[in-house]
Amino acid sequence: MMNAPLHALETVALRKEYPGTVALRDVSLRCEGGEIRALLGKNGAGKSTLVRLLGGAVEPTSGAILVDGNRVRFRSPAEAIRKGIVTVHQELSLIPGLTVAENIFLGRLPRRRAGLIDWRAACSMAEALLEELGLALDVRAPAGRLGVAQQQMIEIAKAMSHAPSVLMLDEPTSALAHREADRLFTLLKRLAAKGVVLLYITHRLEEIHRIADAVTVLRNGALVGTIPAGEANPAAIVGMMFGEAVGKERPPAPPPSGTPVMEVRGFTRKKSYSDISFTLHRGEVLGIAGVLGAGRTELLRGLFGADPHEAGLVTIGGKTVFPSSPSQMKKLGVALAPEDRKAEGLIQILSTRVNINLADFWPPSLHWITTARREREVATRYVRGMDIAVQSVDSPVSDLSGGNQQKVVIAKWLNTGPCVLLLDEPTRGIDIQAKRQVFDIVRELSSRGISSIVVSSELEELMEICHRILILKKGKLAGELLPHDATLENLVGICME
Amino acid sequence: MTRLRPLLGSAVLEIVLVALCLFLAAVAPNFLTAENLLNVLRNVSMQGLIALGMTLVIIAGEIDLSVGSMVAFSGCLTAWLTGALGTPGAGLPVPLAVGAAILLSLAAGCLSGSLAGLLRNRFGVPSFISTLALLTALSGAAELITNGFPLTPFPGWYNFIGGGYLLGIPFPALLFVIAFAGTHMLMNYTAFGRAVYAVGGNAEAARLSAINIRTVRTAVLALTATLAAASGVMQSSEIMSGTATTAKGWELDVIAAVIIGGTSLAGGVGRVWGTMVGVVFLGVIMNGMTLLNVNEYWQHVVRGGLILLAVLINRMERRGR
Repeated sequence: MMNAPLHALETVALRKEYPGTVALRDVSLRCEGGEIRALLGKNGAGKSTLVRLLGGAVEPTSGAILVDGNRVRFRSPAEAIRKGIVTVHQELSLIPGLTVAENIFLGRLPRRRAGLIDWRAACSMAEALLEELGLALDVRAPAGRLGVAQQQMIEIAKAMSHAPSVLMLDEPTSALAHREADRLFTLLKRLAAKGVVLLYITHRLEEIHRIADAVTVLRNGALVGTIPAGEANPAAIVGMMFGEAVGKERPPAPPPSGTPVMEVRGFTRKKSYSDISFTLHRGEVLGIAGVLGAGRTELLRGLFGADPHEAGLVTIGGKTVFPSSPSQMKKLGVALAPEDRKAEGLIQILSTRVNINLADFWPPSLHWITTARREREVATRYVRGMDIAVQSVDSPVSDLSGGNQQKVVIAKWLNTGPCVLLLDEPTRGIDIQAKRQVFDIVRELSSRGISSIVVSSELEELMEICHRILILKKGKLAGELLPHDATLENLVGICME
Repeated sequence: MTRLRPLLGSAVLEIVLVALCLFLAAVAPNFLTAENLLNVLRNVSMQGLIALGMTLVIIAGEIDLSVGSMVAFSGCLTAWLTGALGTPGAGLPVPLAVGAAILLSLAAGCLSGSLAGLLRNRFGVPSFISTLALLTALSGAAELITNGFPLTPFPGWYNFIGGGYLLGIPFPALLFVIAFAGTHMLMNYTAFGRAVYAVGGNAEAARLSAINIRTVRTAVLALTATLAAASGVMQSSEIMSGTATTAKGWELDVIAAVIIGGTSLAGGVGRVWGTMVGVVFLGVIMNGMTLLNVNEYWQHVVRGGLILLAVLINRMERRGR
């Protein structure tokens, strides 16, 4: 292991333009083998564009990538892998029914002369690889039988089997428990010692101190700078990530009446969140902040009865219930705009008209007879009132832009007359104008006494729209913050610590 | 032409059907008579009744392969129950025994469909598998009931249900048309019908929109199995016996009619009217070929080709949009 060749990765004025926007602005950076470099930036800062460019998923508009001093170009991820740059993505990509060995060598299993697969060689190669990485796992076991952490290790072993010069890891710990993350870090440090360049993308500040040697921050597609991990305190990082223009917009004044509309007590789902209790007031916009994997989405779905939970009651409108189905919670006036709007919020092949009426179809006895005309009236009312851009309410909702689809999801629920709206990442993937409109709708509802709970990764948006923000950390409530008398820096600090 | 296009595009099958009828009217002198047309309607009514339910099942993203066996089973069950309840000494007068036998057979159908729904909801067994199992089991049960021989306990008037006429119209055809109107209303004018489309279009989004997807799935499966049982009663009335070997392979004819009618096997898309057209289309073709004395083996080949053609037209029509 001594004198392992040190690899190097360099980008020169790397630029990626999409029609109308510049996703990455002339980024030049250099990483040496042996160090672990953390890559930081808020959503849309250009991290994923950089990863995609380096991983061969997209081609740069201009600029160059150099590996070990040689310029490389690739038109596909497969080509990037051949030239030594391997990416481990956030989502696990193992095929659960295949063995560990087969997953590692998928598509390039060793063959015998007759063209048949040489299973013995495949297994012994996989064993040798895992041993080198210090992993004791059965290579003949189906990958699906392993835990998430072990699967993550197999992903890394698979990446290492390509003998890469550069290994990129995209939030590899988001699904891992603390102890499992420790094992991953030990493995990464061992890889760094072999001279591999490690780029580590994360949202968690504490991880930087545990693993990284240096931190590179991107903002609005441009490189802000690189600092040693030792100097990366929250204030410095927030300054770099968000810039000076922070917290321009103030949140609206808190709602005048303090009447509780929803009380949550001891909400627990062991693998995602535990013992969550809070009170939501009439007209209040309550934010839930936390890093990816903190249990925000899971909590929201639990409150709506969409996913099972183990313990915890919700009191709403004088009734105390154990949420167990969306139809039960709808009856109590709870509504959910889910995180994955396209797949879970709407039925893409059906029309805007049907989608707006969707939450009103059950129970069918609500109105035995529904006619296209009545549905059209309802849909047209919301399309006008919420400024939804549609050609015709009868054409498929899939024709609409992301922002308009989000408005259809909200319209669908307003049509049921809710008193609590749960919004999961309501502004993800929608343009600035649509974002404004969604915020205006939430404020409008608040002034009419309808409360909202907003989950968002965009902390500055929470600061702008919420009356109060709860902070969720590893599934537990870690504090509460009033945007009126706090700064974004406070919030980011608490979330990332 | 451009203005005609959307109209033509959405009615390709109807146009082909009309063209086919005109052609047959020209070459087969007996085709365009009231008697023959009513005969066509009667011939398709028993499979058609099931196809209406199957349309709902397929729109909801499920499938029912057990309908053919259900027809045989329910016919045999009705015959056996009639015999058992109506034997002198058992106490029931024959008309009452027949009525009770019919109701119990329909209930058995409902139960069988509900079972498939339960397996789907509670244990995640795809309806393809559970109804495949039911196909075999019900067929075996029908053989067990009859012991391999047709049961013939029915009184003469029983023949009315499957073979009689009311106001000059075959009784099964009348039931079929009424059931068509019912399912058409259900799918187009009720919240439940809309929920069926929603569940087939995207079950998770439907669930998160507070639609009880389990109830929807069980309801459509139970309805279809009940319609199959009703069809079985009519069938037993037409042939005046409970015969275990009847209606073999009907499930495929029924599914073919639904698919020809433009319903997508992927779920979420389809119309009851389309199924009606598909059912009549298949009936007219069979009738026409019989009138033209086409060899029976050729009839099957031609029908297979036409099913393929109809589905291709549907595909192209959808891609054109």
